[in-house]
Amino acid sequence: MTLLDVNDLSIRYAVDDGSAVHASDGVDFSVERGETYGLVGESGCGKTTLAKSLVHLLDDNGYIERGEVWFDTTLPQWADENGDPEQSVIDDPDKPVRADGKTNLAALSNKQIRDVRWRDIAIIPQSAMNALNPVYKVGDQIVEAILRHEPETTAEAADDRARDLLERVGIEPERADDYAHQFSGGMKQRAVIAMAMACGPDLLIADEPTTALDVIIQDRILEELETLQEEFGVSILVISHDISVMAEICDRMAVMYGGKVMEAGPKEEIFERTANPYTLGLKNSFPTITATDQELVSIPGTPPTLRDPDDGCRFRDRCPFAVEECHASHPPMYDVEAAESTGRVTETTDDRAHRSACYRIGELDRLRTDAVNESTWTDQTIESR
Amino acid sequence: MTRISGTYLAKRLVVSYLTLLVIMTLLFVLLRSMPGSFISSMITSGMTAEQIEQIRETWGLNEPLWKQYLDFMINYQTGNFGRSPTYNAPVADLMIRRMPRTLILFGATFLIGFIIGPLVGMYLGWWRGTKKDKSIFSTSLLLYSMPSFWISWLFIWVFNYEFNLLPSAYMFTQFPEFQWTAVTVMRDVLYHIALPIMSLTFIGWVGAMLIMRPTMNQVTDEGYVFLARAKGLSERTVMIKHAARNALIPVATGAVVGLAFLIDGSIIIENVFSWPGMGQIIVSSVLERDFPVAQATFFLLAVLVVIMRLLTDIVYTYLDPRIKFGESE
Repeated sequence: MTLLDVNDLSIRYAVDDGSAVHASDGVDFSVERGETYGLVGESGCGKTTLAKSLVHLLDDNGYIERGEVWFDTTLPQWADENGDPEQSVIDDPDKPVRADGKTNLAALSNKQIRDVRWRDIAIIPQSAMNALNPVYKVGDQIVEAILRHEPETTAEAADDRARDLLERVGIEPERADDYAHQFSGGMKQRAVIAMAMACGPDLLIADEPTTALDVIIQDRILEELETLQEEFGVSILVISHDISVMAEICDRMAVMYGGKVMEAGPKEEIFERTANPYTLGLKNSFPTITATDQELVSIPGTPPTLRDPDDGCRFRDRCPFAVEECHASHPPMYDVEAAESTGRVTETTDDRAHRSACYRIGELDRLRTDAVNESTWTDQTIESR
Repeated sequence: MTRISGTYLAKRLVVSYLTLLVIMTLLFVLLRSMPGSFISSMITSGMTAEQIEQIRETWGLNEPLWKQYLDFMINYQTGNFGRSPTYNAPVADLMIRRMPRTLILFGATFLIGFIIGPLVGMYLGWWRGTKKDKSIFSTSLLLYSMPSFWISWLFIWVFNYEFNLLPSAYMFTQFPEFQWTAVTVMRDVLYHIALPIMSLTFIGWVGAMLIMRPTMNQVTDEGYVFLARAKGLSERTVMIKHAARNALIPVATGAVVGLAFLIDGSIIIENVFSWPGMGQIIVSSVLERDFPVAQATFFLLAVLVVIMRLLTDIVYTYLDPRIKFGESE
């Protein structure tokens, strides 16, 4: 069953001079219950913005330009005793609730979204190391989250639960009385994960969960997330620039570039039957431990600034395969499977299919062979300069 | 949840004591290097050399300097502050009478300033860059650059001269038509203290605000503020419980510095409003070369600052659990 269904979501940041940064542009994706979905891309591609916008946690100048975020939850005041929305709420055109019980988070007010935060969608922020407040005990910070969303719980019960949660992520329950500075980096990370599970959310957003951690701890954290997923059945939205993290934990993923989804689909499909020049370039620039003599080929150039971008494909300036068409408009999402098997170029709106935004989807074999050659990327730089 | 150990506190007390000894030595040297002798106020024209010699002998000025110093150090540590030649009374009595009056003025100002200042700083820092912030911030800077005595005169002119709402001087009504009871005394003091406190706090809060505003602005970008929001807490809770609580730590440091400035301010204010506290005699005693009184007032103010420093250290450990005093590694 679909937990989260993001439709045509565009997010902008207002700039003082009146222009706007198009941090996310017409993004579609959906997350199933119990699934791990990955958003991968270079820094500044809009993946964190996208995730934060789901619960309205953008910076002050950020806003949702258009689009919907359908999430399978009901605000407490709109729910009947089963937690489903009351019929009167569904019928009310002013309330963003669908007949299938999903609520459009993008249409909620600031006050309403606060009930969704943490109870339904918890975030492990990018710098989880600095996410614990230095002046409060770690346990008390977990208790605070529990009491916020379950006011009927007693302080003692909440405290017991906080200790239990810490134990689950491998921290002794007595450490609940410690402060953040008494924790090691990995412990802080795990404490934040424990905190994220405090209210039993349906979706866990992990923003760069392994950045700034050494590989051993990285591995432990990823394992931790997987165990929690099995235990609580929580869906996880992982954001990372690290394609190897994605390879390890995702079920499905989306590759983002310049605020657009370039390629999306099941993880294996994307890694084995890559169908987008950007993803091909990204794969090139990552080392593999088995191929020691492999030359790393990075994508020349820098990502676009996204400030009032033009209509063309976002990647065209760095793309060795760019053609005339690419300058006119950004390509729609094409069905990769149809292109591969029958050579037909067809657009698709199916979130689950393997999709790629590239006009040259019909020449996949050529793209894949050429992309492996370093010269394909480097020659192109000289040309475009 | 004391995080301050007994040994540390003891160590800190010893250091404070040594600090006071150094201050006393400095006081002794500084006052004696001032031009003029403290008996000059007692000498009138027509005194014979024997009479002057008699006075010198009484006040111990014929002793060698080291003996005078030793006597001074011992006397002060045993609570013997000597006699004031101008007031012709034991200095200790003078201090005991005047100290509380200054402390009332001083304490109230300090408290009000350090409640208003951080509060305003919290709001401005949180809403930094908005119109409200800009207008309040520039107004407060304007206030900050006004001298306190000028503000006092302005207030006296408005509240006393123009509207005759508040008295412009003294601590009590001079010739009261009412009976002195606990209630009337309190009311009378409040009535008289209003203008001095208003003058001092009118600008006094800005110092604390200036420290709070940037630190508050800094913590708004911290990960824990984001997380507090992500937990679904209200903006108010995030601002006060998570952001302001952390931004307060540097304000505690500012409080000690602010204290020194406040002493400055109250000396001026006490003189402007003829408030019969320490500030008033600190000026007159220096002008009249009343060494025993000057020494004692400077000394007591030093004691006050040293005590406040000690208190700040303790407050620190409560504000910031990362600071742990006296924990052996």
